[in-house]
Amino acid sequence: MNIPVGAFIAVSSVLFFIGVAGVLMRRNAVVILMCVELMLNAANLALVAFSRRGGSADERGSVFVVFIFVIAAAEVAVGLAIVLSSYRNRPTVDVDELHAMKG
Amino acid sequence: MSFDLIETILFALLTIGIVGGAVGVVFLNRITGAALLMAFTFLCNAGMFVLLGAETIAAFQVLIYVGAITVLILYGVMFTPQQERPYGLFFQKQTPWAALFVAPIGIFVALFAFSFRDSENPSTKGGDLVPLATSVFRDFAFPFEVASVLLLAAMIGAIVLVKRDDE
Amino acid sequence: MPLGPFGLDPAIWAVLRLVIAVLLAVGLVFNGALAQIYLERKIQAIIQDRVGPIHTGPWGLLQTLADAVKLLGKEDIRARLTDRWFFLAAPAFVFSPMLASYVVIPFAPGVVGADLNIGLLYLTTLGSMTVLGIVIAGWASNNKYSLIGGLRSAGQLISYEVPQILSLVTVVLVVGSLSLTQIVDSQPGIFINLLVLPLAFVTYFIAGLAETNRNPFDLPEAESELVAGFLTEYSGMRWGLFFVAEYGEVTVVSSIVTTLWFGGWHGPWTDIHPLVGPALGVLWFTLKTYFFVLVFMWIRATLPRFRIDQLMSLCWKFLIPVTLTNLMVTAVLLLAFPDDKLPVAIANWVLLVLFAAAVPYLQRRRLAALRQRLATRRLSLATADRPS
Repeated sequence: MNIPVGAFIAVSSVLFFIGVAGVLMRRNAVVILMCVELMLNAANLALVAFSRRGGSADERGSVFVVFIFVIAAAEVAVGLAIVLSSYRNRPTVDVDELHAMKG
Repeated sequence: MSFDLIETILFALLTIGIVGGAVGVVFLNRITGAALLMAFTFLCNAGMFVLLGAETIAAFQVLIYVGAITVLILYGVMFTPQQERPYGLFFQKQTPWAALFVAPIGIFVALFAFSFRDSENPSTKGGDLVPLATSVFRDFAFPFEVASVLLLAAMIGAIVLVKRDDE
Repeated sequence: MPLGPFGLDPAIWAVLRLVIAVLLAVGLVFNGALAQIYLERKIQAIIQDRVGPIHTGPWGLLQTLADAVKLLGKEDIRARLTDRWFFLAAPAFVFSPMLASYVVIPFAPGVVGADLNIGLLYLTTLGSMTVLGIVIAGWASNNKYSLIGGLRSAGQLISYEVPQILSLVTVVLVVGSLSLTQIVDSQPGIFINLLVLPLAFVTYFIAGLAETNRNPFDLPEAESELVAGFLTEYSGMRWGLFFVAEYGEVTVVSSIVTTLWFGGWHGPWTDIHPLVGPALGVLWFTLKTYFFVLVFMWIRATLPRFRIDQLMSLCWKFLIPVTLTNLMVTAVLLLAFPDDKLPVAIANWVLLVLFAAAVPYLQRRRLAALRQRLATRRLSLATADRPS
């Protein structure tokens, strides 16, 4: 294989920073959740790249990826539950308007 | 055509898919389009895993992310309809601070990533099904059980959170 | 160099088998859909004591062709406010995973598109991508009934993936590999895995009925419902594409059942000659698969439909505990008696008998509880003060 492991890490970091930018920039709470998923995917890509392509053959990177899958699924479920119950109280998912606990 | 050329072309296509999909998620005004572009990013990520030789992880990626998480997010998008906003009101008030924060760290991480460019390239070793299964069920059996308890707690929590109060 | 199947050089066979796999997949899917539409009408007619199509062609064989021509000629109605790209793309999202499933199914020794060592995992992954297509189809129709039908169908599909995967995992525990070719190779005869794991077969068959939206689980697309669920706004060939996808999915589920429990391509005379043997293997495989497709149609013509809440409680309260128990018992017995399938077989048959006996028992208890509730309610109504 002639693709250096740094290329995968570069793609993973670009994806991660697009996700960070999305979390910081967007107002819709569901889109913020989507950008968090992008960040988790970037972490998965970096982990698998290091575990399968790095110096020594180590499978623990892939195992950690399985745990990240589990946690990401749980987090999306609970996050969406929170967004939906907040939507029930005030019909908005705009995070700029959800500032009742501010100050 | 040797395999090297095909792999490089595939890597380039998948990178364009991942970055294009991610940019679409952040900048697209229509939320359902953003959700589907996110699913496309997940699929390209699974392609990257196959390229690295981790086909079991790729199958899990599609099964969990595209099959379940995308559907959950689509449910969330459908149940929270909002009026279309003009593009100017799109971003939070924190956008300049976001750029100030992300750009320097981004440059640093990019430099770090490209420092791996000239390292050795070992070939991907076999499939990853048996080593992964052995690791998860023998070395990491206890975290695996804890993860299942976490999923159970998340499931119960999500159901309790969306129950209506009058039931 | 050892000769591959059909007596060919392995290098040529590697390229040829991809071509054959694609042709087989496309041919099987479309011709299979045509054959199945005709078979469905004839079998429903025979069971319902009528004749079915007899006018178009000898014994009505050209009826499907007439249907296809009619569907192609229909006007492409598209409501104005639907989301155009999603509306057009949804049938593709439902059809593509089904077509991609055919690449791992072993039709004969060596005749398989790609011998993935995660074959079964690949098939379940593709099954879960269909859910996305149905949600998009329901949403893009801009129609409340379509949306609710699509979300209900997606919920049904996601719920029934769990007993499906658990049944498959039980077979994988006994066989020891996820690769479909190795599962077929590990069965010395036709009925071996069925004799060892009958309960997994029954639960997988029920879950497969629900996964393909077939009767008795076809509430989203039923003909006697007021609207057709997520299919309401689709007309002409787009609807046709959804239905080819459904019949293709039925064939995929039947192929998995054949491969896992009935020996795949095993049958008499499969190794007499390198040219005739694989062809006979394909023939046995097709016959067994179509036997199960006919069972699907037989069930459709006979059983009444489940309501959505009955369907969900069947999955979560009945099938998932049964499959989990099956999995635990099989795993424990395989650890206790390694390389011995007999305790697993005995335990499975015992569980199957319990499963078959539990259904009338639970129904009787529910009926008694319902009668009790009605009696107390009638009593309270009779003794209440009512201005009547």
